[in-house]
Amino acid sequence: MTGAYFAGVDAGSTYTKAVLLDSDSKPVTTAIDMTGINIVSAIDKVYHAMLAKAGVNEREVGYVVGTGYGRYKVTFGNSQVTEISCHAKGAYTLFPKTRTVLDMGGQDTKAIRINGRGEVVDFSMNDKCAAGTGRFIEGSARALGLTLAEVGDISMRSTKPIKISATCAVFAEMETQEQLAWGNKLEDILYGVHVSIASRSIGLLRRVGIEQEVTFTGGVSLNRGMVKCVEEQLGSKVNTNPMTMFCGAMGAAEFAREKAMVAAREVARP
Amino acid sequence: MPQPAAKLTFKDLDRAKYMQGGMIKEYFDSLTNSRANGTKVAYAFVMANPIELLKSFDFLPLYPEITSLNISYRGGAPPLITLAEEAGYSTDACGYVKMGVAATMPGASTTIGNVPGPDLLLLSYSGCQIYIHWWEQFHYQAGVPIVLLDIPYVRDFEGRVPRHDIRYVTGQLEEVIARLEKASGKRFDENRLKETVRLSAEAWDLWRQCLEMGKLRPTPFDAYFESIYYMAPITFARGSQKCVDFYRFLLEELKSRAEHGVGPTAEERYRLVFEGVPNYPFFKKFWGLFAQHNARSVASTYPKVAGLVDTGAFRLNPDKPLESLAEYMIHAYCNWNMPLRTNLIEKYVRDYKADAVILHSIKSCRSFSMGEGDMREYLAVEKGIPTLLVESDHVDPRYYSEAQMKNRVDAFFETLDLRMGAK
Ligand code: SF4
Repeated sequence: MTGAYFAGVDAGSTYTKAVLLDSDSKPVTTAIDMTGINIVSAIDKVYHAMLAKAGVNEREVGYVVGTGYGRYKVTFGNSQVTEISCHAKGAYTLFPKTRTVLDMGGQDTKAIRINGRGEVVDFSMNDKCAAGTGRFIEGSARALGLTLAEVGDISMRSTKPIKISATCAVFAEMETQEQLAWGNKLEDILYGVHVSIASRSIGLLRRVGIEQEVTFTGGVSLNRGMVKCVEEQLGSKVNTNPMTMFCGAMGAAEFAREKAMVAAREVARP
Repeated sequence: MPQPAAKLTFKDLDRAKYMQGGMIKEYFDSLTNSRANGTKVAYAFVMANPIELLKSFDFLPLYPEITSLNISYRGGAPPLITLAEEAGYSTDACGYVKMGVAATMPGASTTIGNVPGPDLLLLSYSGCQIYIHWWEQFHYQAGVPIVLLDIPYVRDFEGRVPRHDIRYVTGQLEEVIARLEKASGKRFDENRLKETVRLSAEAWDLWRQCLEMGKLRPTPFDAYFESIYYMAPITFARGSQKCVDFYRFLLEELKSRAEHGVGPTAEERYRLVFEGVPNYPFFKKFWGLFAQHNARSVASTYPKVAGLVDTGAFRLNPDKPLESLAEYMIHAYCNWNMPLRTNLIEKYVRDYKADAVILHSIKSCRSFSMGEGDMREYLAVEKGIPTLLVESDHVDPRYYSEAQMKNRVDAFFETLDLRMGAK
C-alpha cells in the first residue's frame, strides 16, 4: 500500500473542509476555508494547506475521497461519496455508539439514522428552504449586527425566551428586529431563534426515528446555544466535539482509509 | 448453414419512441389547423375522460395538461408561467393551470405552436378539485359551454365501487349526449361509439401487455421514464386503429429487446417502482440521475393516469359502451383513496420484484402529491421497503435543483447498495 495517510475533502456550498487521517483513523490535521466562487481552487487550497500543516507530502496520501456538493470537483480524489454517508461514517468514527446523526450546515439540515456498523439506514433532508438551517441563524445574526460566533453564546444567557413564529428565514430577520424594537432582550430573542430551528430539526429526526446516541455534526454543532436547545427538546444529551464540524470530511477520510485497505487486500491476494 | 441473426442494439429497438413523437407532432398539427379545417375542439382532462364519446361526435380533444407538459418539456414553461402570474395567479397555483390559461391568452406563443381555444369544455371532475376552477376560467375566457360529469370518489379501501355509483355516472353520460349533439351539430351514432370503444379496448389490452413486460428480469424497458413516452398514444389517440397499431408495434419491440438482451441502461443493477408526476423541464437529466446507477423502473403509477389498466379495475366493453366508460372514469388514479394507491405501489414491489420505491412529489399538484409523505412512512417504516421521497415540480423549473436532487439520489443508492448487499 502506498501512503500512510488518508484524506477526505468536503466541498460544501459555504465552506470547504479537509481532514487527514492516519492508518488508525486518528485525525492528524484539518483545514477549512470559504468555498467562494471558484470551487476547484478552494478545494486545492484547503487540501494543500492541510498537507502543509501536517508536514505530509502528497505522495504519502494513499487515498482521497471527495464529498459534499462539489465532490466531483475534487479532481485529485480517488472516488466520491455523498455527504450523507460521510456524515454518518464520520459521526460513527468519532462516537461509535452513534445511531442517529443530526447534521446542521449552512444550507441544509439532515437527519440520518445509522446501524451498528455506521451505515446509513434512512435519511431525511431539509434543503428546499433555509428555515431550520444555519442560514436562519445567520440571517437573524446579521439583522442584529452580530457575528455567527457571538449569537450562540449570547443566547445562552436567556432567561425568558421569545417565541419566533416566522418559519421563513427572511421573515425571521424582520421579526427579530421587530422584537428588539418592542424592547425585548437580545439574548431572549436569540434563544427564540435557536428554539425555532431546533424544533424543525427535531421534526426531521423524528421522520427517520430517533435512536440513542445522537451525534450533532456540521458547522452549527459548534454553536453552544444550538446544542443546548437541541438537547432540551430531545430530552437527552447529544455528542459534539471540536471535530464534529469536520464530520463530512472526517467520514470521507475514513472511507478513503477503508477503500485503501480493501484495495491493498486485493493486491495482496495471491 | 443458416446465418445467426445479427445482434440488434438498443438503438435498433428504440423506434416506438420516435413513432410516438411523430404521432404527437401530427396531433399538435391537427390542433393548430383546427380552426382552418373547421374542426371543433373539446377541452378535456387526462383523467376520467370519455374521449370515445367525444370522438364519435368528431370533436378533437385538447388536453391542456398534455399541451402544458409538452411546452415545458421543450423548455417553454417560464414565459407562460410569468404571464399567468402577472395576470394574478399565485406562485402556489398548479403550473399546468397557469400554463394552460396563459397559452390561450392573446399574444401568447408556445414551444409547440399555437394552442387553439375551446369550442366545448368537458369537465370530468375526478380527484382534482382544481379541475373545476380551471375550466371555469376557460369558460369566462372563451364563453363556451361546460359539460360537467361528476365522478364519485372511490371510497372503499378495497376499491369496490357500488352499483349506484356506476349508474350515476352512466346516467350523466346518457344526458350529456344531447348536449354533445347540440354543440357538434351531429347526431349520435351508437355504432360509431361502439366501434371507437372496441378499438380503445384493443389498445388498452396491448398497452397492459407492454407494461407487464416489466416483470422480466432484466426489464426490457424503463417502466417510468420510457413509459412516459409510450403513454401518449393511449392518452390522446385511443379509439383509433393507429393507436392499436402503435401498441402492437411497441409490444413486439419490447419482446425483441428481451430476446436480444438490450435495455435502456448498460445493465440492470436496481429495480425501482416510481410514483408521482415527473419533472418535465429536466426530464432527461432527472432520468439520468437514476440511469447512471444502472437503475431501471419496473413498474410505476404515473403512466397509468390515463387508466389503471393493469389493475383490472375497468374493462371497456363495446356492448355496454357507456356503462363500461363510467367504470373506467371512476377508476381514475387520483380518484382512488390513499390506502388503495399505497397498496398498489406495495403490490408492484412484490409482483415486479423491485428493490426500492422512488416517490417524486411535485409542488403544483395536491391530488398527486398530498399524502406521499405518509406513503413513504408506511412503505419505509412499516413495510421495510427502501423508499426515497424527492421533490420538485412537473413544469416549473424554479423548483428543481440539480445538485440537491443528485445528492439525495446518490445517497439513496449508497444505502441501497448496503441493504442489497446485506440480503
Ligand atoms: S393539481 Fe394536479 S391533477 Fe390537478 S390540474 Fe394540477 S397537475 Fe392536474
